[in-house]
Amino acid sequence: MSREGYQVPTASAGSGAVARGSTGMQDTRSSIMSYLCGDCGGSVHLGKDSTVACPHCAGRVLYKERTKRMVQFEAR
Amino acid sequence: MAPTATSTEWDHEYHTLRRENLFRNPPKDHTAYPALQAAVDPHIESFDRLFRDDGKPGLLAHGLADIGTKIYLDGDERAGPEGKNRIGIRIKDVNLQRAQVPPSNKQAKNREIFPAECRERHVTYRGKLSATFEYRLNGGDPVEFTRELGQVPIMLKSNKCHLQNNSPELLVKRKEESEELGGYFIVNGIEKIIRLLQLNKRNFPMAINRPSFQNRGPGYTPYGIILRSVRPDETSQTNVLHYLNDGNMTFRFSWRKNEYLIPVMMILKALVETNDREIFEGLVGPAGSKSAENTFLTDRVELLLRTYKSYGLYTKHETRAYLGEKFRIVLGVPDTMSNYEVGTEFLRRIVLVHLGNIDVTPAQDADKYKLILFMIRKLYALVAGDCAVDNPDAVQHQEVLLGGFLYGQILKERLDEFLGVGVRASVRDWVRRHPGVPFTSDDFRKDFPGNIFRKANENIGHSLEYFLSTGNLQSPSGLDLQQTAGFTVVAEKLNFLRFISHFRMIHRGAFFAQLKTTTVRKLLPESWGFLCPVHTPDGAPCGLLNHMAHKCKIMTDSIDVSAIPALAAELGVSEISCASTEDSVAVVLDGKVLGFCSPKESLRIADCFRYWKVEGTHGVPLQLEIGYVPPSRGGSYPGIYLTSTPARFVRPVKYLPLQKEDYVGPYEQPYMSIAVVPEEVESGRSTHVEFDPTDMLSILANMTPFSNFNQSPRNMYQCQMGKQTMGTPGAAIRHRTDNKSYRLQTGQTPIVRAPLHNTYGFDNYPNGFNAVVAVISYTGYDMDDAMILNKSAHERGFGHGTIYKTKKISLKDDSRTKASKSVTKAFGFAPHSFVSASYQGMLDDDGLPHIGRMVQEGDVICAWHTVTPDYNGNLVNLDGITHYEKYKDGETGFVEEVRLIGAETGNEPLQTISMKLRVPRSPIIGDKFSSRHGQKGVCSQKWPAIDMPFSESGMQPDIIINPHAFPSRMTIGMFVESLAGKAGALHGLAQDATPFKFTEENTAAEYFGHQLMKAGYNYHGNEPMYSGITGEELGADIYIGLVYYQRLRHMVNDKYQVRTTGPIVPTTGQPIKGRKRGGGIRVGEMERDALLAHGTAFLLQDRLLNCSDYAKSWICRRCGSFLSVQPTVSQFAPGKKKAPSIVRCRNCAVKLDDSEGIDLTEVQGEIWEDGQGNQWVGGDQTTQVVVPGALKYLDVELAAMGVKLKYRVDRGDEPRKGPMRPASAPAIPVA
Repeated sequence: MSREGYQVPTASAGSGAVARGSTGMQDTRSSIMSYLCGDCGGSVHLGKDSTVACPHCAGRVLYKERTKRMVQFEAR
Repeated sequence: MAPTATSTEWDHEYHTLRRENLFRNPPKDHTAYPALQAAVDPHIESFDRLFRDDGKPGLLAHGLADIGTKIYLDGDERAGPEGKNRIGIRIKDVNLQRAQVPPSNKQAKNREIFPAECRERHVTYRGKLSATFEYRLNGGDPVEFTRELGQVPIMLKSNKCHLQNNSPELLVKRKEESEELGGYFIVNGIEKIIRLLQLNKRNFPMAINRPSFQNRGPGYTPYGIILRSVRPDETSQTNVLHYLNDGNMTFRFSWRKNEYLIPVMMILKALVETNDREIFEGLVGPAGSKSAENTFLTDRVELLLRTYKSYGLYTKHETRAYLGEKFRIVLGVPDTMSNYEVGTEFLRRIVLVHLGNIDVTPAQDADKYKLILFMIRKLYALVAGDCAVDNPDAVQHQEVLLGGFLYGQILKERLDEFLGVGVRASVRDWVRRHPGVPFTSDDFRKDFPGNIFRKANENIGHSLEYFLSTGNLQSPSGLDLQQTAGFTVVAEKLNFLRFISHFRMIHRGAFFAQLKTTTVRKLLPESWGFLCPVHTPDGAPCGLLNHMAHKCKIMTDSIDVSAIPALAAELGVSEISCASTEDSVAVVLDGKVLGFCSPKESLRIADCFRYWKVEGTHGVPLQLEIGYVPPSRGGSYPGIYLTSTPARFVRPVKYLPLQKEDYVGPYEQPYMSIAVVPEEVESGRSTHVEFDPTDMLSILANMTPFSNFNQSPRNMYQCQMGKQTMGTPGAAIRHRTDNKSYRLQTGQTPIVRAPLHNTYGFDNYPNGFNAVVAVISYTGYDMDDAMILNKSAHERGFGHGTIYKTKKISLKDDSRTKASKSVTKAFGFAPHSFVSASYQGMLDDDGLPHIGRMVQEGDVICAWHTVTPDYNGNLVNLDGITHYEKYKDGETGFVEEVRLIGAETGNEPLQTISMKLRVPRSPIIGDKFSSRHGQKGVCSQKWPAIDMPFSESGMQPDIIINPHAFPSRMTIGMFVESLAGKAGALHGLAQDATPFKFTEENTAAEYFGHQLMKAGYNYHGNEPMYSGITGEELGADIYIGLVYYQRLRHMVNDKYQVRTTGPIVPTTGQPIKGRKRGGGIRVGEMERDALLAHGTAFLLQDRLLNCSDYAKSWICRRCGSFLSVQPTVSQFAPGKKKAPSIVRCRNCAVKLDDSEGIDLTEVQGEIWEDGQGNQWVGGDQTTQVVVPGALKYLDVELAAMGVKLKYRVDRGDEPRKGPMRPASAPAIPVA
């Protein structure tokens, strides 16, 4: 049993996570995201459950856009 | 002014601006690298022949004619055909559409589906297959209808592909490489090619001596004639003549994987109306000819004729009816045919099908008759020793199975099976369900074809997709091939060299891989110019997996030879012949005997044909193969064998009399005199000269600079390593979704290269980098093929590479059942669910990772939840649980692309995403590099630049390799490359590295030495160097120069495997296997032997016990058993872990309840309790020992079989010797 590999002890999920500011997903926030059409290059707004197709050209492959968040990591 | 056409001429220079322009402005007319396209053309052209554009019937049209009309009868199955209604149905036409969006997708304006989309969506690039059927009820008016037969994968750039004849500019617009080659299929987003196979030369009677022929039955000898006869639709039927030791002959063929034997006389008599005298004279020669005195021959022919008498069949009609009766069931012909018709059908379908396969005319039957006579003659000559066997392993007697042709064969067979089995069963089923209802009724008209066809499996496209994705051939006939698996391979785009090699690769067949003998693997001189002698892997597939020489072409269409028979007759070919090859030799065109002439005349005829064909006159086509076999004593059977068929090799050489290009085939080449270089031309003997001696090498072998200076195995190694290099797969990396793709970030064009490097456009796909290489033993870190990298060079990006991994995440369950189409899962966080902040930070609101994010082991890469449709069709989540997919690889990566993949119909919510991760791989210690001369090495140190040796001009090497790498390997080419590279860099030149350019008088060392001298460097390439550590001059001058290095894809990060503890196999307690799961490397018997021999007992114990299945375990010293001990249970002991458990032996203890009347106060020893509350006393001689876990496992397994193991823990427990005594239970000491 001790050979199964060392597992990092985790704080029980209930107490710690709330303190770190977790959220319940709000339904009110409309999760409409913007994507790029692989065919025509136009921007596509997809809501939840909407079909995956470009409204301009019915392109069937959509790309996620480069994030606008700050992306930072150590360069070494 | 019209823009000038894109130039396709290339030399060895850099052409930097021209290439930049080609990159910036892809040509609008045609590619600048036609040689590259020509390398792949055989694949595409063979596919194009299935459905031709030029008005001629395609292969499938020929195939449909061969399938013919199928007949279904109604009424009782057991009754005869009389009075029944019958439907005769045939496939009139088959049509393949280009890839299109299904009609159910209403929004798409652009209906085409391009290959790039199929790659990105991980689907198959395919088009709809439909067939037009035509049926007649009781021979009435034909009725036509069309059915769809599923979707069939389409070869890229074929005539059914949107990319056919696209200009580079258009290709780039369609998200392809500007030099997209095509020739492969896309199946489930993976590029697959059908690999080329070597087969026996078609329509050629090959003399064989094969001992296994004797196994056919009593009397069979090893002698035989094999003729692989090919129908116009490229399917083949092999006919074999066997020689029996009494002089008789049988005709063998295989039909639907079963073998059949027929006396050859029966075939002869069935083909034409003939008599014994005609056959005798046809075999021996006219009466009075010289061969009539050849008693060996006449005796045997006489016996052949006499033994056939026992059948009592004399006329053609009788014989055909006899054959028909015997083969009626085998051929599966309708009951309505008479025996004579079945016999005719037999001859049409099986006997020498290349001479007449559809609507066979009497003239064609006569051709078949003549060819069989010729085969018999050749067989008798073989048995008599007048002619030698033909070697089926030489390319001389081989041709190629092209991918498109095989594809057509499968398609034809599927169509045949569909009509002959599928629909037939469906019709029979209908008849059974509706007893007494005739075909003429309205009921039937309602169900035919619609419902009846639907019940038969109409999805023919699926079976082809299966074939391409697995490479397995599922065929009732076996397609006359020797293997059923391994027909397709993935066209890996690891780097461009590997990719292009797939198309030039040609395999001997899986069957030959199992052979113990090495004869099939031999490099034969016949292969010259057709197969590359260098480019074959070493190891298991050596010599079986060859690559075509770069100038070698494969014919994909038959050429017009209609003028040949008349020309032959004009030149003196006549019908009259005799068996002696000294008097008459045959002139054969594509397996059809045109006539005979004297050996002397045959040379003249062959020479005339040769001259005309190069000249282009008299209607003799340039690619015609004129196999003139001169008469010899016991050599190959002489004659002229003309070949015009597709699927054979040809290669260009220069014809000396006209100084023009001629095409030479492998059959004729051994009998010709082709000079390799002009100086070699022998007046009066040589007819041809090679255009270039490097024509015999494959594309890859031509990329090795100065390969003629190297020892030949080193060039083979380079051909392997060139294909394992981390290079540049292409320019359209954004639109590719390979599972794993390697890319070199700092690729360069080699300074030293052959002009073919440019001809094939390899500068578009750089495969390595020019490195300053010093050959010096410097630190000791370059021992044994290790190499030292300059750390500063590494920090400037030397050899930096990247791996792209694509992960497809699909929420659809992978089950094959198409029925459950409902959506049950959706991407994103479940509403109102709990999401930790760290997870939310990793993903966007749509539950997908954001582009540019770093992912590490254990990070989440997407979120999903279950959904169910509510009453108005909206998908809602009910459980409020968000599920996550985790990143499991140990290596850090970056999200490069996230693709949302929609359905073809355009009406599905998001179910599949495809994510591309970028894993940076800078060179680290343990990564593998190689030069282009089979000199591979592993980076052993990144040495600080300040400590590197430097030259007088202050230069430091990028790479240090050890001088010991050279003496035994003799890769002088690498020295020359180093010299040439250095001179080229100093003068700014590209150096031509074509092999065979330098001679003894004009040496490479001299040429490049002078260049170096002009630049002010040492003539020999050596330089005085100074130690980077002490600053002192080194004792010897160091050989330093520029060599093009490749970074190989084998990197430590994918290979290292180390553990002390980790996951174990539960049963034995030993470490599990496999790097991926964190397992160990086995210390096997030989490793154990080594440790024993060294006397390293502690190391041995550490490896075999401590790091493996070390197990502490209790044992009873008294009974010596692991199995009888058990922990005691105290009912007073609180909690679980408290109180160190006491272990007792249950076997040695005495249960107190059993022995009644014991006074508990008198009992000696401690009383203990087991789990059930029973009380025991004794059994306390237990102890703890360390044993391998596997030993305990063995003990348990043996106990299960009733075998007891008893262990002696120390001396005192030694077994007692002497006579057996009944074991007595220890008496409970009662005072």
